[in-house]
Parts: sequence; structure tokens; C-alpha cells
Amino acid sequence: MGKRIIIDPITRIEGHLKIEVEVENGKVKDAWSSGTMARGFEALLLGKDPRDASYVTSRFCGVCFSVHQMASVRALDAAFGARVPWGGTLLRNLVMGAEYVYDHLVHFYHLSALDYLDIMAIANYTGKDSELNKVKDKVVGLVQRGDTFPLTPRYEPDEFSVKDPDVVISAVKHYLDALKMQIKAKNMGVIFGGRAPHYQSIVVGGFTQLPDINQVTRFRSILDELATFVNEVYIPDVVAFGTGPLLPLAKAGIGGGHPNYISYGSFELNEAGTKLVFNPGAVFGLDGGASREPFDPNNITESVRYSWYKEDTPKHPYEGAQVFDLERSDAYSFVKAPRYKNVPMEVGPLARGFVDQDPTLLGLVKNYGVKPGAVARHAARAIETKKVVGAMYTWCDELLAAMTKPGFKIHDTDHWEPPVEAEGAGFFEPPRGALGHWIRIKDHKIANYQAVVPSTWNASPRDERGVRGQYEESLIGVPVADPENPINVVRVIRSFDPCLACAIHLIDPKTNAIRRFMVE
Amino acid sequence: MTDVFKGLSRRDFLKYCAGTAAALGLSEVFAVERIAQALESAAKKPPLIWLEGQDCAGCTISLISVENPSPASLILDKISVRYHETIMAASGHIAEKAREETIQQGGYVLVVEGAIPSADDRFCMVGGRPFREIVTETAERAAAIIGVGACAAFGGIPRATPSKGVPLSKVVPGKTIINLPTCPVHMDHLMGTVVYFLVTHKAPLLDKLGRPLMYYGMSVHDNCRRRAHFDEDEFLTDWNDPKQKDWCLLEKGCKGPETYSDCPIRRWNNGINFCIDAGAPCQGCSEPEFYDKQSPLYAMGPATDRILAKKAAGLIPRKENA
Repeated sequence: MGKRIIIDPITRIEGHLKIEVEVENGKVKDAWSSGTMARGFEALLLGKDPRDASYVTSRFCGVCFSVHQMASVRALDAAFGARVPWGGTLLRNLVMGAEYVYDHLVHFYHLSALDYLDIMAIANYTGKDSELNKVKDKVVGLVQRGDTFPLTPRYEPDEFSVKDPDVVISAVKHYLDALKMQIKAKNMGVIFGGRAPHYQSIVVGGFTQLPDINQVTRFRSILDELATFVNEVYIPDVVAFGTGPLLPLAKAGIGGGHPNYISYGSFELNEAGTKLVFNPGAVFGLDGGASREPFDPNNITESVRYSWYKEDTPKHPYEGAQVFDLERSDAYSFVKAPRYKNVPMEVGPLARGFVDQDPTLLGLVKNYGVKPGAVARHAARAIETKKVVGAMYTWCDELLAAMTKPGFKIHDTDHWEPPVEAEGAGFFEPPRGALGHWIRIKDHKIANYQAVVPSTWNASPRDERGVRGQYEESLIGVPVADPENPINVVRVIRSFDPCLACAIHLIDPKTNAIRRFMVE
Repeated sequence: MTDVFKGLSRRDFLKYCAGTAAALGLSEVFAVERIAQALESAAKKPPLIWLEGQDCAGCTISLISVENPSPASLILDKISVRYHETIMAASGHIAEKAREETIQQGGYVLVVEGAIPSADDRFCMVGGRPFREIVTETAERAAAIIGVGACAAFGGIPRATPSKGVPLSKVVPGKTIINLPTCPVHMDHLMGTVVYFLVTHKAPLLDKLGRPLMYYGMSVHDNCRRRAHFDEDEFLTDWNDPKQKDWCLLEKGCKGPETYSDCPIRRWNNGINFCIDAGAPCQGCSEPEFYDKQSPLYAMGPATDRILAKKAAGLIPRKENA
């Protein structure tokens, strides 16, 4: 029996997560992932006006904000029979593209980088660069004043930590620069989104703000600044780290997990919707090349075998009947366990990269021997940020062309009123991965609502067959030299960009009817 | 010696300094005594504990959306962030220890984001303990307590869920709580309130719901630039129609006349935009009724019926008479 380590709370993530690992001979032998907070949004939505759903579900998460708004309005669009005009789609895509850039920058620099940097190596910087010396003065000043919060306390740096003063100081400089850039990305989204976090202008049928030319110009101008930062700072940093000091971690595939990946597809590049930034699909196998197939939502089931819900067999989200049960002794998480064709899948940037067979990502695998794992996830995130930035230029051009023609539309006003009875499913690829919302409407009101979210896929507990979820599996074999300093565990977990608040939903046992959906 | 270290003996203090130096791997670079001197002489940054309960971290993201001062200067120069799950380097027991030590020192600003479940403690556990207990013990020695966002101020969305989220005021009764509702908290409201407290060591003037009057003293409708269209019964029904672009959003469910916040003047995200300017109705997120009693959000309902009744009764003055 190895030593049990509990890390609770896992910080620098969204939400409340506890990770428990069993360490034997310096390596993780087994792992358990537990979501420890629940609210119960679906129960709240029952009986409400269906149009409320997009606003309310946006509050699943304020970090990857508005992604639920997107999945929700898509489910509502389907249920209402709304046909979103191209202008509405472009505006939705532009604000969500801005959200992507903000989110990925924050994840890399502000939520993850501290795990890889021996930040205090800055004190040994001897270079002459005046900007970098300002950074040095700032950090050394904090030390001299004896107040280095929130940079410390922390887990101690280990052999994988970057200690070269020149590298560390420029990374910290970029951490500070990225703090400004993430604001710019939000400002950019707010031009059309109204405010952030939680955009206001995404509604069923389209968008609420008729844009003007100055706004598009302003958006594009901020986009230029962000594109420069992504291309000249973010991507070079990820490449320098991944192919430099972190290459041993990358090649060892630390944090790999199950080699199964899924993407629902997102971001139309043309009005017909035939060309997407991210394609839908499911792949099985290490480089995603072993077996690829089209995405079919009918293959999704959710297990509650080890979750705090009343025992039930795995069900499709359309058919699931759940009642929460806090007394089940073998349950250990509020997160359910979604499976695709009965196996756990990873969702997120790495999954999208493999599903798309992205040449840059596959190049890292081929040329550097990078294996799926923590470092590869950071790489995949940077690679796709560049793709989304590129797409935003296309959308700006398309928007300018569309809005300067007579009859420009942003909303399907003919399908604004809720139908008497309908169902709809909506899919979206948020920064953290595949997201699906399902709604059933009866008597113009919400009769049932269900979301299967990215962190439910990644953070799930074990299923009926005892197969671990992806966080759990990815921790197996991870080196933990010192149980007091499990830095590799948090590196692996953070590489997924956990977002736990949205991973957890529950249904009030008093109001819950048997939840039964028909697949469209 | 400043308040933060009140109660620590000189010996404890030097031990603390040595610990700091060792933790940073800087014992060779900076002598313990030198750190101690610097600590004693330098103006201390006020310590902050930020707790997250039944939240979405949206208020945290709102905080790091302010351009001036920049988040870096805020986090590193102006306040000492002792505990903030989304920002801090530490995890697990190291994180919890930082919170406990700050409580020992006292005199910190406590910010709470998110509601606290009342149906069962197990709906929100942090570090293996009920979040409710953590809030209670952290509030005990706080110099100021701020509830950010609709959830901590009034229960917000979690209030109407099976977990029955309650606001901060229900968990720490009898203490002055500064409520900064809206969903999420307005970045300027938070920044300004913290600065006000640091300058005056007092809470700003509050309304009966605990909201600073300087931000929540006027209704959204009072300052709405679409107000003249409300007076003329010009209500937007089609977002595609350029003619209606600036018309009143009441027909789309706007709760502006019953909502108190300076959003129309201040706008959001460094003044770039806000809900109503983006064609989206005000959803009353600064009010205790948010969300469940404000539903439906995007249609006429009880709230807009009330507003129209007041209008008919002449209780909402026309713009030129206001």
C-alpha cells in the first residue's frame, strides 16, 4: 500500500477540486478526482421561460464565460427552429473568438506557468535589459519587503523547473504583459458582447447588437495587438519551453492518460457552415491516427456509479434520470462519468488537434517525440489560439461585407417566441473542450435541461467497469519524489485547464421527474 | 511594526523572516536581518483573503479586467493576496496554512465570492471542510467584509437551486457587510470600494441592502440613454431594424426602472460597453430578486407589468421632468 496524498483545494483552476493520489516507489499508482461543490442549475431552470437558459447557464462558469451561452442558444435555436442569420453567427463567433484568446493566455501564463518556473531565480539575473531589470526589481522588492504573496507559498521547484535566470525573467515579464493582453482580449469581445465576463448579447436566434463600422474597426485594431502577442510571445514561449527545459516531461508523456479524443466541432468559416475552424470527430489511439470516426452524439452515455446521485445504469443525456444522493458511501464526486462508446475520452485543445490532425501538433509528435501529456496540452492550446486569431480576421472581413449591404440581419425575429413543445441539442467547442446542452420544452416552458460539459469528460470519476476518468488515468505513473511536494500532480491536472463549477449539476429529488428525451 | 505583525514577538518575527528567505531560496542573497528591517520600515500592503464558495469565478475574472490600475500592480504592489484559490501559487494544505496564518494576524480585508449552501454543507467543501465554517472563522478577525457579486450579496442564482445558497449576511450575522451585487461584480465597484476602505478605514455610506450609495444610488432607468423612448412608448421589437436600434428594451424584458446601479454612466470593462448599449435588456442583477424572481429575462412578465403600471400611474417621471 502506497502513501495517500490529498491535494485539496487544487488552486489556480476554476471551481472546487480535490485530487487524491496513492504514491508507491516515487510514482502515482492510483488516483481519484472529486468535484466538491454543487449548485443545481438544471432544477432551477425547470418551468422557466426557455430563453432564460442561455443567460443562467452562462453562470456555470465565469472563467470560460459565455461558452454555455453558446451551447445553450444552439440548443434553443434547434428547439425554436431559429435560423441564425450569417451576421448573427459572425458576431457570436467574434465574441467567442475573443474569449478563446483571453482564456488560453490566462491559462498558460497565470494559471499554469508558476508550476514550471523557479520564479526566485530572477534574483540571479545579471543582464542589462532595462525592462527585465524592472521585473527583477519588482520581485526582489517583494522579497525585501517580506511579502511575496501570492507568488509564495508554493510547491518547491523540482528537476523539471526552469531555473535559468534569463529564461525565468523573460517568462515572468510575459506573465505581466499577458495580464494586460487578457484585458485587451476581453475589451475586444465586449465591443459586441456588452460586458465580460458573461456577455449579454448572445440570444436565441442570433445577436442583440447591430454593429457599426467603427466597432468593427476597433475590434480589428485590438485583434492586431493580440495577434502580435500570440505570434511573437505566446507561441515562442510555449515552443521554447516545450522543446527546451520541458522536453523531457514532454517526451515522457507525463500526464498522458487514455488515448481517446473527441471534438464536437465549432466556428463556421463560411455561411453554409461547411468549413469549420474545428472539425467534429472522435479518434482512438496515441497520435489520433489509429482510428478516426465521425462524431455521433448518440454514443454518449453518463454513469453515476461513483457519483453522489441515486444509483442508475448509464444513460444517454436525453434519457438520464438522476436524483442526487449524498449518502452513497462508494461515491466520491459530484461529477458524473460521461463515456463515448463506453470509453472515457479526453476533450479540449489536444483532442481538437488530434481530431483535426493539425500539422503543427503532429509535427511536434514526429519531430520532437512529444507524447500526449501535460506539455502537449499546452502546445495544442497555443497552436489553436493562432488558428482562432486567423479566423477572427476572416469573420471581421465577412462582417464588414455583410453589414454594408441592405437587409443586413443579426437575429431571426420570426422564431423568438418559445414553441409549445420542442426539443433541441446544442454543441460547441469551448476552450476547455466538447460541450453539449440538451433542452426539452413543454407548454412554452423548460421541462428538462441537461448539460454535459468539458470538465465532466476530463474530471470524471470511475465508471461501472471501474475504468478511471481522464484526470485519474493521466496521473498514473506520474513521478512524485516527495509526497510533501506533489508538484507534478498539479502540473498534470492544470494542463487540462480544469473548470469544475460547470462540471457539476444536480437535480432536486423533490422536483425531478423521470428525465426522458427523444433523440432528434 | 505594523498591524499585520501585531502579536508576534521579535523572535517569532525573525523566525518568520528566516522562513520567508528560505522558502524563496534566497537565504544567501538576502540576510534574514535585512529582510526584517525592510519589513519593519516599509509601508505594509494590506492583506486580503478572498474566499470562493458557490461561485463561477466570474467576479475574480471581473477584478482582473481593470486596465488602470493594472492587475499586476494591484496584486503585487497594492494588496497582499494571502489567499485566493484562482490566483495563488500554493495548493492544498500549503494554501490553507496561508489562510490560517493570516487569520492569526488579523486586520485583513475579507472578500467572499459565491453563495454558501444552506441545504447541506456537503454542497461546498474546501480542503475537506464545509465552506460555511471557513467563512465564519475567516470573518471573525477581518477588518472589512465585502460580498462580491449577486451570489455573496443576496444568494443570486444558487439561492433558487436545490443547494439553497444563502448570502454572506446569513452566515456572519451582526457584522457590517459591504454588498457589491451585479453578476459578476462590476470591476470598478470593487476596486473603488477597496480603495475607499484603505484610505478611510471605514465602509462607504451604504443603502439598506448594504450597497455603497456612491454606486447604487440611482436606478439604471434614471440614467438610461434610451429613456426618452420609454417615455414615448417606443419599444424595440426587432434587433435587425436600424430605426429601432436605440429604442427602449422593456418589451425585451428590461428591469432598468427597478434596478439600482450606475451601469449606464460608468458602463463596463473600462467604459467600452454595457448590457443596454449592446441591445440587451437590464436583468436586474444588482437586486435581491435576481435571478429567479426576475424571470422571464427576455420577455414581458411580472417585473415589466409592474413597471408599466407605475408608468401609467405617473410614478416614473418623464426624462425632461426628472
